[in-house]
Formats: sequence, structure tokens, C-alpha cells
Amino acid sequence: MERSRSSWVIYLSLGCALLFMLIPFPLEWRIFRPDIATLTLFYWVLALPQRVGVTTAFVLGLGQDLIEGSPLGLSSLGLMVSVLVLLSNYQRIRQFDGVQQSLMMLVLLMLASGAEQWLRNGLGMPGLPWLGLVGLFCSTFCWLVVREILRLLRRYYEVT
Amino acid sequence: MLALICLLSLFFLRDHPRLVAVQQGAIDGVAFTTGVILAPVEAWERMVAAMDSRTDLQEEVLRLQQENRVLKGQSQRLAALLSENARYKALLRSAQLIDDELIAAQIIAVSPDPSRHIVVIDKGVLDGVKEGQPMLGEEGLMGQIILSGERNSRAVLITDSAHALPVQVNRSGLRAIAEGSGVIDRLLIRHLPAKSDIRVGDLLVTSGLGGRFPNGYPVARVTEVVISDGEAFALVTAEPISALDRGRYVLVLQRTVGSGAES
Repeated sequence: MERSRSSWVIYLSLGCALLFMLIPFPLEWRIFRPDIATLTLFYWVLALPQRVGVTTAFVLGLGQDLIEGSPLGLSSLGLMVSVLVLLSNYQRIRQFDGVQQSLMMLVLLMLASGAEQWLRNGLGMPGLPWLGLVGLFCSTFCWLVVREILRLLRRYYEVT
Repeated sequence: MLALICLLSLFFLRDHPRLVAVQQGAIDGVAFTTGVILAPVEAWERMVAAMDSRTDLQEEVLRLQQENRVLKGQSQRLAALLSENARYKALLRSAQLIDDELIAAQIIAVSPDPSRHIVVIDKGVLDGVKEGQPMLGEEGLMGQIILSGERNSRAVLITDSAHALPVQVNRSGLRAIAEGSGVIDRLLIRHLPAKSDIRVGDLLVTSGLGGRFPNGYPVARVTEVVISDGEAFALVTAEPISALDRGRYVLVLQRTVGSGAES
């Protein structure tokens, strides 16, 4: 009962993060959009590794694909791989300070988008331009903000 | 296990009807949610517009009326030309005449994927918009519909790096394939012999080959022709006629094939 009472916070925050993808950006500025949804996922995996894991990553990836209009499963695989890495190292990453954690997030984001690029190549879809890496850095800078907001939420609603 | 599902869905089930149906539903969902998110912005814009002064509006009306008159005059000529053309085609016993009907639509969202040039428009199957129909801007061709939901559709722009279309140089009739470059104001023509008759400033129009785009719609203007020594092919760059990243209003071309007598 306790479990189901607070889990809505997790799913609602992931849903809101997905909505961030829908905010219109000018065509040439889209590369700067930070990937809030992925960061939110990483936060919940880091905070509650026993509850949020690979399955959530899979579902979130599907959501991203539906919004982007790309073939279903394209973003899922990368997210799942990076969540696996996060799950096996979460205790260490929790001890990191802000900068170190941000850098770790950059590595994880690169892993996820690297896997996506690899899939895109396999499917014959156009890959991200090199400038697309800028978006990953934008996301990295957002990590601390996302972390603080979600931490407040988690403490307020006592999600465990 | 889930990874397997991903790979399966990506490589083998991409065109599975169920998955496509889910994606079609998602288009409508995306469009609706974007509308909800943007509602405050639009309300604000409407308020600002309502506060436009009366004289400004009167001027605008006057300007539009004049523009309308000019356009009407031009379309009169067009009607005459069309019927003349139809007569000639009938004389030549050309198989079928194609009547183009336009559906006005609005771009309501842009796909967040930065590697693609994909937009969502506010007309769908219920309005007669179907996969493969060309999308026009005010001045020229913009793209084509790739997937249509019930009330909204997704369209790919001609500059998307996975898109290519058959074109023709208007001046010389030279045929070529214009590929999207992934940059919003650039199209590329790669495999054109270095001695081809193509110059900077040439207008590229759809050639109608391939059967997807009807012929004669302006696509792009050539901005650069690079012929390097020792290369067999010239590299031609062109700029799309319609401003793909500006403006919200588009037209979707619906083709109805009629017999010569009816037209």
C-alpha cells in the first residue's frame, strides 16, 4: 500500500520531463535542448535503485520514440544500457560531489546516445551531427538543477 | 529480454500494423499535448493582437484586399491556361489528367529529434491527408506526409538528410535528384556529370518522375556549382524556395485523377 501511494511521484515526474520535449524549439536550436527526461530517469535510478530500473528505462525510451516519431525502441536500448551501468555503480556515484556527478552523467548520456547512433547506423537513418554533442553538455549542466528539484520532491512526498 | 524486444521492433517489426497504429495515435497525442502546453502563449498572442490599433488593422485589410485582387487576376489566367492545357492533352490522347486539390494546414509542432527535419501538421486522415502527399509552402515545395493520424499528420521536409526527390532544371530540362542535407537551407545534387548544363541561379522544379510529386512545382534555386578538376561529378548546392523554418501555414496537395472530359 505504502509502495503504490508514493510511486505516482516518480511516474508523474518522468511524464512531466517528457513534456519538456514537446516545448517547441526553433528548428536549428533543437540540439541545445537538454534531455531532462533521461536525467530524471537517472536521478530516480540513483535514488531508488530497487524500484526504478531497466524496465522503466525501456518504457521511457518508448515514450521518447513516440514523441520523436522515430522507430519504436530506438532510444530504449541506449537508456537501458546506461541504466545498467548506473545500477551497478550507484553506491559509488552517490558519494561523488556535484561536479563529479555531472561528469558521470555526461558519460552516461554519451553512452546512451552512442548506442542510439549505432542503432541509427544499422537502420540506415541519419545520425546526429557532431554539433549534437552540444546538447549532451547542456544536459550535463542541468543535472544539478534536476537533482535538487527531484530531491525536494522526493523528500516532500517521502518516496522510498 | 527487453533489449531483444527493442532490436526485434527496430529491425523486423518496423512496419507492423499494430506498431504503426500506436505511432499514429501518438501523433494525435503529441499534437494535443503541444496544444495544451502552448495554450497560454496563444492566449497571450491573441490578447496582443486584439490590442492592435484600428488603423493598423484597416491598413492590413486594405493590403490583403489588394493582394487578393492581384491573385484572383492571376488565377483567372491560370484557369484559362489549365483548360487550354486540358484540350491539348485530350488532343494528344494523354492517358489521364491530374487535378490537384489543396488542403490548408498549420504546422503545430517540430519533432525534438535534432537529426531530422520532421514537423507535425494539424490535418489528418479525417481531413483527407494521407501518407505520401506532397506539402507545399507559399512559394514552393516543402516536403511530404510520412504518417497520418486521425486529426494530425507527420511530414518530412525536403532538407531532411533521409529525403531525396527527383527534380528538373527549369531552364534546360536537365533531370537530377535533390537530396536533403540535414541543414535547413541547403539541398545537394551529387551525381551530376561535371559537364551538365546547370548554373547558379537556375530554378529546380519537381520533375514528376517517381510518381510521388506532381511535376512543375518549384523546389529550390541553385546557389553553388563546384566542379573540381579530376572529379567526374559536379557538386551542386541549392537553397529551397520556401522558407522551411519560418511560417506556419502549409498546403497539402491531394491528387484526384480525373478523365480528360471532366476537366
